[in-house]
Amino acid sequence: MTHEVIRHLLDDYVSGDLSEEARGPVADHIVGCDICRSEVESLKAVIARAADLPKSIEPPADAWQGIRGAIERDKVAVASRGQRAQSRWSREYMMAAAIVLAAVLSSAGTALYMNTRTERDESRAVAATPAANETSATLAAFTIEENNYLRNVAVLQDMLDQQEASLAPETVAQLKSSLRTIDEAILEARNALARDPANKTLIEMLSGTYRQKVDLLRRTAEMTRGS
Amino acid sequence: MKMSAVVSDTIGPFPSTIGEAQAAVSDSVRRAQAGDVDAFELLYRENAGRIYALCLRLMAGDAPDATELMQDVFIKAWRRLETFRGDCAFGSWLHRLAVNTMLENARGDRRRTARVLPMEDPTRVETTARSTGIELKMDMEDAIASLPKGARLAFVLHDVEGYQHQEIAEQLGVSVGTIKAQLHRARRLLRERLER
Repeated sequence: MTHEVIRHLLDDYVSGDLSEEARGPVADHIVGCDICRSEVESLKAVIARAADLPKSIEPPADAWQGIRGAIERDKVAVASRGQRAQSRWSREYMMAAAIVLAAVLSSAGTALYMNTRTERDESRAVAATPAANETSATLAAFTIEENNYLRNVAVLQDMLDQQEASLAPETVAQLKSSLRTIDEAILEARNALARDPANKTLIEMLSGTYRQKVDLLRRTAEMTRGS
Repeated sequence: MKMSAVVSDTIGPFPSTIGEAQAAVSDSVRRAQAGDVDAFELLYRENAGRIYALCLRLMAGDAPDATELMQDVFIKAWRRLETFRGDCAFGSWLHRLAVNTMLENARGDRRRTARVLPMEDPTRVETTARSTGIELKMDMEDAIASLPKGARLAFVLHDVEGYQHQEIAEQLGVSVGTIKAQLHRARRLLRERLER
């Protein structure tokens, strides 16, 4: 074997991975080759230092608490998994039905409003006669109510996003589709309200749609938690 | 003494005590498998130091990352306890779980960062070290931490933990030749850095 070939075998030589057949010629070469002998000594020194490294290093004292916490959460999850599994299909069915119903009600309500808008406009012409301050008080109250709905929606949406993995994919798809329908209904009603801010019917409809959205998200979140 | 004997006697995974360790922990393992968290804590106390040392080296000396990895390993171990049949020492089982968990996490990280970060450049660490212009003699732990990831894995698993090339190759899903090449590279980089 040439010097170049042997140099490529030095790692295996120091690791003891060479066959007896190959080991002899390499050992013979090392005796007479300063370069290879030096390399073998360096490699052995590195390996020896690796072997001298501590096999055990004390982890942070509070590391176990994090593990124990996760284990306790696992145990709770396992305990409730049985109950959840038992009622999963019925819950999924109920959830899907609730999602569809909420979406249908929202869009149907908006559509009904939009289709009969002329008729309601006439009614509103009569109903809109109250004082302007009553209108602004109603709008102010609705603005507060709307902000509350939006905050609730955000919290519930976050909660659902975190729990999404525990829902069946088809339920998630249906939920998202229904939320889109409700959001479209909200947007449509919101635009209509911007054009006609004194319209109490629109305000009530918008409030009702927000309530449906919050209710849908809350029920989905509760069902997801298995309560 | 033959080098192979030296290597296997000094750096083998849980050398020569596998049987004893297995016997000593078997009761704790059985109780933990039955859901006894206190028994699992005993297993943690017995093995955490060794697993943490491995995690620390696999994570290039980053203590928070190593702690998180170790916690992941023990949480996974708890969840998979029923699959432990005592075919090897519990410590060895944990060890393998630690390496697999690190690889799984790395794969996840790679997927997450693939769009914003370039692939690992094997020359990055060397270039960075040189570009500082400071040639300090490193201690062994720092030198290992400074290795490129592939070389570090091969070195830690082979030369520190005592796994065979074949075992490492199987665990990492690469060829034995790749492991040997990475080990060769790691040893030479370490030699350079330690001899500076």
